[in-house]
Amino acid sequence: MNPFSLEDKVIVITGASSGIGRHTAISCSLQGASVILIGRNPERLQETYTCLSEGKRHGSYVLDLTDDACMSDVVQQINTDFGRIDGIVHCAGISGTLPLKLADTAEMERYFSNNAIGAVNLTRELCKVGRFSKDGGSVVFLSSVAALTGDPGKSLYAMSKGALLSGCRALAAEYARRKIRFNCISPGVIITPINENLPHIKDPEKRKALEAKHLLGLGKTEDVANACIYLLSDASRWITGQNLIVDGGYTVQ
Amino acid sequence: MDLNSFIEKFAEAIELEDSSVLSGDTVFRTLPEWDSLSYLSVIAMMDEEYDIQIENAEFKQLLTIEDLVNYISNR
Repeated sequence: MNPFSLEDKVIVITGASSGIGRHTAISCSLQGASVILIGRNPERLQETYTCLSEGKRHGSYVLDLTDDACMSDVVQQINTDFGRIDGIVHCAGISGTLPLKLADTAEMERYFSNNAIGAVNLTRELCKVGRFSKDGGSVVFLSSVAALTGDPGKSLYAMSKGALLSGCRALAAEYARRKIRFNCISPGVIITPINENLPHIKDPEKRKALEAKHLLGLGKTEDVANACIYLLSDASRWITGQNLIVDGGYTVQ
Repeated sequence: MDLNSFIEKFAEAIELEDSSVLSGDTVFRTLPEWDSLSYLSVIAMMDEEYDIQIENAEFKQLLTIEDLVNYISNR
């Protein structure tokens, strides 16, 4: 059997209503997985759902990952509907630029709760006994090259993404016994429907400067989706606690 | 207290897939799954489920699942 296949695996994907999450969901379904979509916006989740490959049963659940009160019920429902899962990809998150003078406690909490706390809460619920496959599985957190390099105005974003890198290693050690692997993917700048209209990409001058920093040009959502497939598949069975940098060469210079 | 319901909670705390391997006589520290995190999880479970705070020295004296049940019942 192809070690890169996701045939008969059940994969949960957050942030599935757009960008990297949507593309990862579609790619996983094309590799044979049953895909469980999680997102905040029901209409956009439905758009992703209709793009999934036919032939496998998929699911779609509306959940705000910062809503602690609802999470347990939604995860219970997923368990009832789909049984044990084989993997999670945490794509949900927020981005932004904020100078230090505006980085107050409320902003810090907003970044951490959206980018780190929600992912860990969902992971905890899904790692309870009876919810992950007895054969183990794979958990992938979407970090960022911002956690590895310094850019002005990115302190809160970098801190919250760096938290995933640090937490991932400890979780890898904690869950090796149950054969649940934990890894991060750190993308460079990826063109998505949301950011292609933002100044740093829309403005031709700024885009050129940004492209020059990425040896292979700017990334596409499929570049990250394919890395996710690798880390979810049995091909990466001996890899845990790692950070896979998918950045077109951004961090090598 | 019902032994079976305690065994369910104990298995969940130490993330044991198959609780049928547990009985009142089980010496829980000899389970392959038992480690320092299991200890913390069981302590937390006893606090959360039964409102019992137990000191390390006391806990060390408890050897079997039944010992735990008796300890909780007698508090």
